[in-house]
Amino acid sequence: MSAILKDEGGAAIDAPKSNREYIERLMETGDCVRIEQEVDWDNEAGAIVRRVCELAGPAPLMENIKDYPGFKYFGAALSTYRRVAISLGMDPDTTLPEIGKEYLKRTNAEPIAPVEIDRAAAPCKENILMGDDVDLCKLPVPLVHDGDGGRYIGTWHAVITKHPIRGDYNWGMYRQMMYDSRTMCGAVFPFSDLGKTLSEYYTPRGETMPFATAIGLSPLAAMAACAPSPIPESELTGMLAGAPVELVKCETNDLLVPANAEIILEGEIIPDVMVEEGPFGEYTGYRTSPRMPRVTFRVNCITYRNAATLTISNMGVPMDEGQLLRSFSLGLELDKLLRSQGIPITGVYMHPRSTHHMMIVGVKVTYAGVAQQIAQLAFGSKLGPWFHMVMVVDETIDIYNWDEVYHAFCTRCNPERDIHIYKNTTGTALYPHASPHERKHSIGSKVSFDCTWPVDWDKINEVPTVVSFKNVYTQEIQDKVTSNWEAYGFAPVK
Amino acid sequence: MNKWEVFVDDLSELSEGEGLELTIRTLNDGMHKYTYKRVTAEVSSSLEQYADSLQVRFGRGQLSDKKYSINILGEIDRFPNYQ
Repeated sequence: MSAILKDEGGAAIDAPKSNREYIERLMETGDCVRIEQEVDWDNEAGAIVRRVCELAGPAPLMENIKDYPGFKYFGAALSTYRRVAISLGMDPDTTLPEIGKEYLKRTNAEPIAPVEIDRAAAPCKENILMGDDVDLCKLPVPLVHDGDGGRYIGTWHAVITKHPIRGDYNWGMYRQMMYDSRTMCGAVFPFSDLGKTLSEYYTPRGETMPFATAIGLSPLAAMAACAPSPIPESELTGMLAGAPVELVKCETNDLLVPANAEIILEGEIIPDVMVEEGPFGEYTGYRTSPRMPRVTFRVNCITYRNAATLTISNMGVPMDEGQLLRSFSLGLELDKLLRSQGIPITGVYMHPRSTHHMMIVGVKVTYAGVAQQIAQLAFGSKLGPWFHMVMVVDETIDIYNWDEVYHAFCTRCNPERDIHIYKNTTGTALYPHASPHERKHSIGSKVSFDCTWPVDWDKINEVPTVVSFKNVYTQEIQDKVTSNWEAYGFAPVK
Repeated sequence: MNKWEVFVDDLSELSEGEGLELTIRTLNDGMHKYTYKRVTAEVSSSLEQYADSLQVRFGRGQLSDKKYSINILGEIDRFPNYQ
């Protein structure tokens, strides 16, 4: 039975349920550009998406791909907050704090379980390649960046696996490079859900692990696959969309996959062979992780929709959807975690330009050591490996206003007292600042910056007073100056 | 003549005059461009030595100025258990 969520006004959530429906919405709002001229899969498509990201332009829908008639590309799906709002069925001009509030409301609501549908009703079964017909090169797999180690088929997708004992599903956005016509390889970090399942179960037993890769997901399914939430991604997608996600069984294994995905790759992760993967342009804005043998996927079956659209994320310098969406969900998931622990926070924001490396946490300081408590919880959580800086400010600072945060950091953070370094933590192979040895073994280090005033300082005589227009003048003076601003001869303030 | 590319950390990995095991990708135009195979091969810094050309990139994708020719002696099946 379908559960339909309502928004605060009581209206049903009207989020797009498929990638195609999403593109239609973007077209209506001017947030997507249809490219009809031929585009080369060899660098040109990637370069278009990269430029869109760097210019914060509308998402490109490329309808004429060289060598691949009948296929399309869709890039930079969620690389602006406007598009995030549209994906959630909200007004494109909704502010970031409001979008975050809505995300928290929906993801704190009752789970919405997925429903399984018959394969005859599943669009992703419109074309099926099996046996000798399986050839990844029949799909328009792009060379995303010049100099990449290969053509990457999985850049905006979900790798779907099931835990062999617990039975729970994992949808994860593990990048996948095409090695040959039947083989892909990708970076699966040891601390990830899939990495742990492989190292704890399949690799020691020498058994293959079934997988499916779903490409061209609905935007909210992609958001769920990106989010480090403890909620199963298929349920999380339903909660975000306000309706159950429809799943269908694979052709060659028992995994369930999103029925309206554009392309499904089915196969096995093999335990005894690893092939070379990378380099790849990464979300940090660099090629950092070394080219090395990585987890290897053999493909047994390809299913895809008619006129299938392959989604492309082009990671690099800010701002792409990987940075934006990971920052968005990491920040909000940390918000939930800290509140669940009773920490008196006022909010959490991760600026995407930090390439999701710095958490900014606002807190009402009522006891000593709260900044370190926040940092330790953040770093010690499942979210922790994805960032290495936590900056804590008090409730007077607007966490979304970098000018205010930066001022607090530069003036309140005492180098001797307020900076704490945590050594030998979990890191990722993608950290540009890490040594080659640290990258190879996912070793990290962390730092926290306490930008709050010490609780044992006298608030009258020891805490400095902020000197700003809004803080040192009476409301009467502020109103007088504001109302006379143009009369003084100044341009209107936007 | 076929065009190939290989990734190395250092050009010393491409020692001449001996059989090497290399993972190379095709640069021939077409839908299979950039797909890999594992081969035994011999390489030469003389571009006329062998019929096929070999372009080299380093570990972060940087293109080497140095070009080679390559003679593929055989292919290695990396997936004998997964046909």
